[in-house]
Amino acid sequence: MRLLLTIWAVKLSVFALRALGRQGTHVPGLIARKLHPGIIGAVRHPARVVVVTGTNGKTTVSNLLAEALEAQGLRVASNRNGSNLAAGVATTLIGAVTWTGRPKADIAVMEMDERSAKLILPGLVPDLLVCMNLTRDSIKRNAHPAYIAWIISSALPERTSLVLNADDLIAASLGGESNPRTYFAVDRLPTDGDRPSGAAVDVAICPVCDHSLDWEYWRFNHIGKVRCPACGFRSPAAAYRALDIDAANGRVTLELDGESHPARLINGNIVNVYNEIAVAAALGRLGVPKDRIVAAFERLEPPTTRFATEMVGDVQLVRLLTKGLVGVACSRAFEYLASFRGRKAVVLNIDEVSERVTDVENTAWTYDADYEYLADDSLGQIVVGGVRRHDQALRLAIAGVDPARILTVESETAAADLIELDGADEVFNLHSVHNALITGNPVQKRLRARLQEHA
Amino acid sequence: MSLTIEMLFPEVANLHGDNANIAYLAQCRPDARIVRTGLTDTPEFVSGRPDLVYLGPLTEQGQLKAIQRLKPHRKRIDDLIESGTSFLFTHNALEVFGTRIRNDEMGYDEPGVGVFQLEATLKMFGRYNGKVIGRVPEVAVDAPVVGYKSQFSMVTASDEVPGFLTADRGIGRNTTTAVEGVRRNNFIGTSLIGPLLVMNPHFTRALLGRLDPDSEPVLAHERLAVQAYEARLTDFGDDRRWHPFERVQSR
Repeated sequence: MRLLLTIWAVKLSVFALRALGRQGTHVPGLIARKLHPGIIGAVRHPARVVVVTGTNGKTTVSNLLAEALEAQGLRVASNRNGSNLAAGVATTLIGAVTWTGRPKADIAVMEMDERSAKLILPGLVPDLLVCMNLTRDSIKRNAHPAYIAWIISSALPERTSLVLNADDLIAASLGGESNPRTYFAVDRLPTDGDRPSGAAVDVAICPVCDHSLDWEYWRFNHIGKVRCPACGFRSPAAAYRALDIDAANGRVTLELDGESHPARLINGNIVNVYNEIAVAAALGRLGVPKDRIVAAFERLEPPTTRFATEMVGDVQLVRLLTKGLVGVACSRAFEYLASFRGRKAVVLNIDEVSERVTDVENTAWTYDADYEYLADDSLGQIVVGGVRRHDQALRLAIAGVDPARILTVESETAAADLIELDGADEVFNLHSVHNALITGNPVQKRLRARLQEHA
Repeated sequence: MSLTIEMLFPEVANLHGDNANIAYLAQCRPDARIVRTGLTDTPEFVSGRPDLVYLGPLTEQGQLKAIQRLKPHRKRIDDLIESGTSFLFTHNALEVFGTRIRNDEMGYDEPGVGVFQLEATLKMFGRYNGKVIGRVPEVAVDAPVVGYKSQFSMVTASDEVPGFLTADRGIGRNTTTAVEGVRRNNFIGTSLIGPLLVMNPHFTRALLGRLDPDSEPVLAHERLAVQAYEARLTDFGDDRRWHPFERVQSR
């Protein structure tokens, strides 16, 4: 009876919140967990449950996976529009049962915040868990990737099958001997290196003998393929691989458990190549025939919200989400910026909004980020706005950016007025997640207007 | 004189951006020789005498590996500290030199190298995040050290073990003391991250002066470093930015 009361309370609260124009995905779950702390395990689940987690890519992959499964004619329950915490999972599960508690979905695809594994996995007992990667995230919350791996492994049911990234030795280490495992990988790329560089490399020694590892290819952070020259340890072999990536023509070869298939490349960014092969591996593990896996990619589109470009006259204006507090995410944004070949002007506003007034941001994370990508003569000027502008300026100088090219200003939006646009081929608006609306939007508008005047 | 700085186990002791402590020192002293000692290497300090030995933040397993690698050299470490060699251990690196690391959630309780009488207890679901400001003897009272804590561990030690600093605000080795870190002769161990030497230019100048008394210390990017320090010092002086959990609790 307690279970039914909880289901009814949640369904009614979702109805009420949606009537008020709210999404109603988190609060009902909080209510559910209050009324029935074991709700995630107590409510009846769809016949199959898939969890997607990891530091980066979990939202995209869970969305793509849900879409692909719907295209197979399945009724899919997913938290794609809601919270990936325990409350969001609870809301989604209750949304996937009738008022009498009977399942009305064939399969659940749940995005899971990796830090919340302990609250979600023991009750959910997924059939399949996909882990995209485990890289450094918030120092305050996530500490380091091995900690997150420990949290997930500690909470992982023995019977859950794993789909893991073979190019990430930390993610690949998840689970125990009882967990069946399938690996995915992206073969060596022309842009890969032979040894790691950068501030945040979390796999450098052999997990067996502590000897320094050799890299067959190194991509970024600790992502790549390794072998130990001392004891012979190697990265696991991947049954699902992406290779022969042809970004210009949007094609890729997918190696699907021993069968090679040409396929559409959903996006040329390496992050999305991993997303595509992870979706293929998960579909394969769920028993979707290989030709239908390949066909699914003809329709799937990843979201492209992290960057946007537009031409204003002869100048390319690039807006780039640069997630403050997370060094690894910033490194990828800076690397992307550095891949542009023209003369650059950069506005950088990545202070953490929540710590501006009621705290003093710990900027240690900036030394986990590779600002060195910005130390290039093609960068004409960088204007840094915000409360922690002096810390950012010092970080840039230590990275090798000429201090004469760095300008600081307290107002984030004023940075858009101060940036020197003469001679710039590309103008970048780098902002964080929480200041996207209050800073990212007005800076973009002002830069666009100035470039239009300039043109 | 040229400086020799030994970084211990940088392949595993590299969390929280703290290796920038040494990157910054290397920019202040471009002539410095930086020795990066891997886990399977014999440390330079075993047969030589580096001017500074540095160990940075580690994972929990990294701490245990570091203990295993350093334990055979306990006597040499004691001798170096007693004879005045400079050491800088940041974040949880100090715990490696303690007597015990207890981590119930991960299921271990291990002795440390045992250089200092201190014990660390980790709470893997109780990470502490906070700010610290406190005076140190190396610099004037109006230039206190500022830094951050972001850690699973709390350290207990006798109050007779001298601290790196006494916090004016923020907690020390644990929530019931303002005494933070450890110092003995020229050994400094502190849980503060930031990185400490980047965030505290006045302290860094003093450290450089101690490492090489014959040279006038020069700070890399001094103007920017001092601007950042002063801005943070001002913010640390703002009561609205301090929280109850950052106060030392009565025992």
